[in-house]
Amino acid sequence: MDLMIGGAFQGKTAYAKERYGFSDGEIFTCTAEAGADFSYPCVRRLEQYALNCLRRGIAPEQAILARREEWKQAVLICDDISCGVVPMEAETRAWREATGRMLAALSREADTVTRLFCGLPQRLK
Amino acid sequence: MKIFLSGGAKNGKSTLAQRLSKTLAGSGPLYYAATMIPHDEEDEARVARHLREREGWGFETVECPLEPHAAMEKRPRGTVLFDSVTALLANEMFSARGIDPDAPQRAKQSLLRLADWAEHIVFVSDFLYSDAGQYDEWTNAYRRGLAEIDRALCAACDTVAEVCAGAVILHKGVLPE
Repeated sequence: MDLMIGGAFQGKTAYAKERYGFSDGEIFTCTAEAGADFSYPCVRRLEQYALNCLRRGIAPEQAILARREEWKQAVLICDDISCGVVPMEAETRAWREATGRMLAALSREADTVTRLFCGLPQRLK
Repeated sequence: MKIFLSGGAKNGKSTLAQRLSKTLAGSGPLYYAATMIPHDEEDEARVARHLREREGWGFETVECPLEPHAAMEKRPRGTVLFDSVTALLANEMFSARGIDPDAPQRAKQSLLRLADWAEHIVFVSDFLYSDAGQYDEWTNAYRRGLAEIDRALCAACDTVAEVCAGAVILHKGVLPE
């Protein structure tokens, strides 16, 4: 599994398309409502999957690790939402922390970790 | 040489940018593209502080709060310190007339044209993309627009660096000696 992280609008998906040649149809975009479909070779907006898990009352870190077989060959993309002031709203606070723990776990599992900064890849692992 | 600097607030981007543009200019013209439109006493104090900090560096201040290439192209070609992309987009996008959705495209084209014109240029932007904030539609359009400009400038620049606590993380190219 290759993990791509970075701030919003930093070109993570564009870079994944360029590096792996994915078409739009090969990329699944997670939402808080629908969660994730790991049958796709590329799954993006994992932070929305984390929110989906939280709203179902389960921990995203455990939930995604339990589905390891489904994504072990995939490219996973997630927004980094870890900076900024501690959010006022309880759900946003829990979401931010849970996304951080999920990413740390995925980073340990990943073959490579790449951070995108203004469209430029930075290899972290 | 074209350089792009970004990072969090108060990490030393402007100070580094000032030093780099001075080095690049050598004995040629050195311009400071002033982007801030002061709205209150706090802004005026900030402008006065910035002016004091640049004293003795040899910068000619060029007011360019909107479409900066137009003001700059009237002058002899030289080195530009552009601080900041963030302020320019705010000026272009939000005014007393309302919100302009075409602002990011216009700002991007103007900055790319300015980069072409300049002998050397150092851009300063702000990295405001890694928080958990839930923004309203226009704030998000602003963030998306700024990121699009940043990415276009990074593609056009020789050097891209993130400034963190005064230290430099190079993402592309090298810094001048």
